[in-house]
Amino acid sequence: MTETEKKVRKTSFTKALNDALDLGMDRFPEMFLIGEDIGEMGGDFGVTKKLWAKYGGERVRDTPLSEAAIIGTCVGAAMVGMRPVAEIMFADFLGECYDQIVNNAAKVHYMFDGQFTAPLVIRTACGGGFGGGPHHSQSVEGWFMNVPGIVIVAPSNPTDAKGLLLASIESEDPVLFLEHKALYRVRAEVPDGYYTTPLGQAAVAREGSDVTVVATMRMVPMALAAAEQAAADGISVEVVDLRTIRPYDAETMLGSVSRTGRAVVANEAPRIGGLGAELSARIHEECFSDLLGPVVRVDGLDAPIPFSVPLEHVILPDETDISAAIRTAMEKS
Amino acid sequence: MDKTTMLGLYRDMWMIRAFEQGLEREFEQGNVPGMLHTGLGQEATQAALADQLLATDCFFPDHRCHGINALAQQRHSGDGERIMAELFGKATGVCSGKGGSLHSADPAVGNFGDNAVEGSYMATVLGVALASKLRGEPNVACAIIGDGTVGRGEFHESLNMAAIWQLPVLYACVNNGYAISMPVGQGHASADIVDLARGYGFPCEQVDGNDIVECHEKIGVAIAHIRAGHGPYFVELKTWRWQGIFAGEFRPDAEVKYWREDHDPILMTVDRLIGLGCTSAELDAIEQEARGVIDEWITFAKESPAPDLAKATANVYVNWEVTGA
Ligand SMILES: Cc1ncc(C[n+]2csc(CCOP(=O)(O)OP(=O)(O)O)c2C)c(N)n1
Ligand SMILES: [Mg+2]
Repeated sequence: MTETEKKVRKTSFTKALNDALDLGMDRFPEMFLIGEDIGEMGGDFGVTKKLWAKYGGERVRDTPLSEAAIIGTCVGAAMVGMRPVAEIMFADFLGECYDQIVNNAAKVHYMFDGQFTAPLVIRTACGGGFGGGPHHSQSVEGWFMNVPGIVIVAPSNPTDAKGLLLASIESEDPVLFLEHKALYRVRAEVPDGYYTTPLGQAAVAREGSDVTVVATMRMVPMALAAAEQAAADGISVEVVDLRTIRPYDAETMLGSVSRTGRAVVANEAPRIGGLGAELSARIHEECFSDLLGPVVRVDGLDAPIPFSVPLEHVILPDETDISAAIRTAMEKS
Repeated sequence: MDKTTMLGLYRDMWMIRAFEQGLEREFEQGNVPGMLHTGLGQEATQAALADQLLATDCFFPDHRCHGINALAQQRHSGDGERIMAELFGKATGVCSGKGGSLHSADPAVGNFGDNAVEGSYMATVLGVALASKLRGEPNVACAIIGDGTVGRGEFHESLNMAAIWQLPVLYACVNNGYAISMPVGQGHASADIVDLARGYGFPCEQVDGNDIVECHEKIGVAIAHIRAGHGPYFVELKTWRWQGIFAGEFRPDAEVKYWREDHDPILMTVDRLIGLGCTSAELDAIEQEARGVIDEWITFAKESPAPDLAKATANVYVNWEVTGA
């Protein structure tokens, strides 16, 4: 946080994002918002509320269901110095504009050897736990982790959400900004006014000495709850909130694991080829001699996300799974 | 069209033809890596666009657009040889060899680069156009698309969005009859692409893409319309590519003869110029001059150094270095 003396007030994740967009629009004349129903309606989740009334339809642009055209518009505008911020209503729809993100946004800077940049932000609602079914619940970070050139930001709380969104708006690199739907209503003390939270830097959400839990988005509050429980059993858990998934802060993560000697990596996406696989491999490679036992992974089961809530619970990881993983990490060492 | 303009376009068409023929020769000798798609036979479409787009406009070239890339580079920056060097993968290329034939760009001359995922920039062009519109600049954003590209969903998304927002987009659709092996009438609901574009409610024009006078005039009208703030314009340029599919010719003999001999854009222009009083010696000299320039460009490309290997991981991000090479 660049300014520490700010007044804080209890704010929801949604309102924190809304404030960040408002502050960004106010500060950057070249910024505009684009997406479906983001105008007068204020977006499916209310993140763009009142911005249309304040900034007008030229800068808060409602579109038809044209995800490729939305992101294409962002890329083209960013290539000539605008700062577009798109809303893709549900992350599950990113397939509709995957080409624009992967082959354009992520590559124009590289393939034209620095002659263009793509300073755009794609905000999108991801994650399950609310009976959204197979097409409104997915965690998509794995779809993009294998794409050099893209930045993936994944806040876990309102304070970071605001600072990270403003940092994303300032970023010269294209940012995929993941908003976990289960976090939208979470409230926390959020500073007033403009501040940024640096991209590419993890946060130590709780200090501990026996085991490190590396988590993202909704897994962070769950990891904190599991850590609290573990403390009652005499286990001291350090929680590292990655905050940026790509490029991620290996230093903070590896430093923590080197100290504790044990690691749990927790994310909601399916296990194979996901974030947990990358983090686990990296920890094994670089902390091998400090590890007291193997890394334990917590992630979604290798299946789509079903509609029925009890079924969904089977697929998605929660606090209990993290607690179990912490115990396993302790026992296997 | 006056004689001076026509002579200029004649020269430009020869620059394109000499460029592509020189490139083909070098490709066959194994000096040009990757794939090769040429604009041979389609010179009038590219010459007419290059002559009328300004450096402050934007164009997204397709895979057959070495010609317009080179003309824009030469006209606005005086270094057309850097397009050739890019195709050879050299450090002196417009993208230092990172882009190659399918991704040569230089924003200083209005060239926003090809996307080899054919037609992706039908979406991207909207953003460049929107930025011009929001800034009140009279610029044209042009997407040069093939008939095959029209099959993509972005065709609809782009034309629809350009229409509802009245964006300054020029769609230059080069209908050369085929997408690799797929005849246009078999791959689309109409062999005339304008039929597909008309529903969006902005002006659409079908042009003989091998007739330089018609191409130049109709593209000129479209550009004037867009620059005046009247929104998008669609021009279908009917032409034919000399290049068959990757190995050999699959099209009927009569069709090949018609396009290569009877309806060749350069020969058609020769007839016109002779009619305007030019001599064949004068026209030969233009051809020879173009071939000479292209030979120099090829020499430049061949003699240029390979890219610095440290650049392989440069410019992945603006804010982060990628290491590990
Ligand atoms: C999205 C996509 N699909 C397929 C291809 C492979 N491909 C390259 S060129 C081409 C045909 C394009 O036809 P057209 O647009 O008519 O251009 P032409 O080669 O005839 O000039 C195809 C299918 C591609 N590059 N991108
Ligand atoms: Mg074609």
